[in-house]
Amino acid sequence: MNHALLALFPVVPLLSAALTVLMRQTGFDRVFTVGVPLVSAAGGVGLLLLHRTEPVIAHNVGGFEPGIAIPLVSDTFSALMITVTSLTTAVTMTYLAATGEDKYRFVPPLALMLLAGVNGALLTGDLFNLFVFIEVMLLPSYALIAVTGTWRRLGVGRLFVLVSLLTSTLLLMGVAMLYAAAGTVNLAALAGRAADEPWTGFGVALVLLALAIKSGVVPVHTWLPRAYPATSAGVMALFSALHTKVALYAIYRIYATAYGGEAPWWPLLVVAVGLTMVVGAYSTFGERIVRRALAFQMVTGIGHILLGLALFTQVGLAAGIFYMVHHIVIMGALLLSSGAVEQTYGTGRYDRLHGLIRRDPWVAAVVALGLFSLVGLPPSSGFFGKVGLVQATAATGVPWQQWTFIGLIIVASLGSLVALQRLWVGVFFGPDMETYRPDSARTGRGERIALPPHVRIGNRLLAPGAALLVVSLAMFVGAGVVVPFTVEAAASLLDPAAYSQAVLP
Amino acid sequence: MILPVTIGILVAGAVYLMMQRGMVRIVFGFALLSHAANLMLLSAGVTHWRGEPLGGYGTTAEQADPLPQAFVLTAIVITLAVTVFMLALAVIGHNDDTKRMPDTGEKHDR
Repeated sequence: MNHALLALFPVVPLLSAALTVLMRQTGFDRVFTVGVPLVSAAGGVGLLLLHRTEPVIAHNVGGFEPGIAIPLVSDTFSALMITVTSLTTAVTMTYLAATGEDKYRFVPPLALMLLAGVNGALLTGDLFNLFVFIEVMLLPSYALIAVTGTWRRLGVGRLFVLVSLLTSTLLLMGVAMLYAAAGTVNLAALAGRAADEPWTGFGVALVLLALAIKSGVVPVHTWLPRAYPATSAGVMALFSALHTKVALYAIYRIYATAYGGEAPWWPLLVVAVGLTMVVGAYSTFGERIVRRALAFQMVTGIGHILLGLALFTQVGLAAGIFYMVHHIVIMGALLLSSGAVEQTYGTGRYDRLHGLIRRDPWVAAVVALGLFSLVGLPPSSGFFGKVGLVQATAATGVPWQQWTFIGLIIVASLGSLVALQRLWVGVFFGPDMETYRPDSARTGRGERIALPPHVRIGNRLLAPGAALLVVSLAMFVGAGVVVPFTVEAAASLLDPAAYSQAVLP
Repeated sequence: MILPVTIGILVAGAVYLMMQRGMVRIVFGFALLSHAANLMLLSAGVTHWRGEPLGGYGTTAEQADPLPQAFVLTAIVITLAVTVFMLALAVIGHNDDTKRMPDTGEKHDR
């Protein structure tokens, strides 16, 4: 394969975005908004298969000297992330088509631009270029909030814009300090240097701090559970699958490559990881609205994902990466199915929804299995996600780590279990619903009226969430297929030398 | 010494403005902060004010590092776009930071 083809991952979605601006037929748009992510996912699978023989491939864009050019690098980790994020994007776009949100002017091109930014950020091997691609990813997101939004969403859009911009500026300052200290922002050239040179380490730490804010690590998480649930469910599913996970990918990549081992501030990382797991799980108790509870579950999931990085063994990293893949899929499934409930009954509040288990048994089944997965019960990917983390922690052989981390996993899972039970009881048990507020994407919510028996959650609304849940179940049954890829991804993170060699031959 | 002091003053002003309630002031705060970030980028490569980094003008030993200048150019473009968007948000919001939200006829579930 010609390595220059890597550039197609960001370029094809960008060009399709331009095409969908020009063409304004809904059918045409839908072919692109669903088709392009599917093509990107297929490309990701192709890369995954290619990396079995060739672990790292790199291309210096424009043919400049290695070290000066902006490199696009792909290894098993980035290929895995491209596959999962693109697949989730494709499914979410079918949901946006079902709710009619993709008919708003510019939503299809904005979503495609978002995908272009994500693919670019996953592939780039240059930290300044990472900043640019993250901006490419964020600018369409600001617009997506505003376009699909109501007045309240615009107000929250402000919070999202301000936090994101402040963080981006921090990232830029980190890159500047890194350039001043190390003389390069090429990740391959920085491999292992952050551990030896204190000022390079400071620059890298600043970059990682900015990425931690973007991904929502406690104690800098507070913007996430406020900003995300105020957008529409489809947009929130897009953001949860793409934004925080790209930031987490970058944290994994930069930490592993630049330090090549444990950072000097490793104890801080451990404290942040533990806090994130527990605070996210127990904050879920305070919420009475489905998607706000799920937003806090995102926070606790981020803690679990970063636990793999804190362990920094091959098993640990592999478990963290598996958890990340699982979390992207299952958050998508839950957000889209809770979005289907909101879309149909006009509210996501526990006290207004009840008795849905008799009305919509299939939705109840999807949500129940999704909640099982979040807590870590079989039969879903969450089981192996948590088992993997526990096993990796047990394999460290350091007693205090084993006690602390396994204890934290159990405490956080118990908190999530009880808090999500309240969600389940509130929404699905109880007497039959008698009134609802029909929701329309165009006019907002109407008056509360009597609920006629024929109003059910439609199959088109349910299908996207159910599809993602099937992926999660498949990851439970076929974990033997997925795990080798995550182990391979962890191996490539632990071998920065191979990464550097591919970029700087 | 001038550059660090300038960056410090810019950041201090930015923090002060961003602590205010009105959106327009926050936007000004961000403008200052992004200037500070740009100056930081410049200070990473051009502190000694060497010659222009153009082909045919002196040797590489005399020329400034062109890379931070390219960084700054990119960062300025991005900041411009986001500033315009935030100013649009400030206008659309009809000053709802300090007053009540306008009655748009929409209803929310809370």
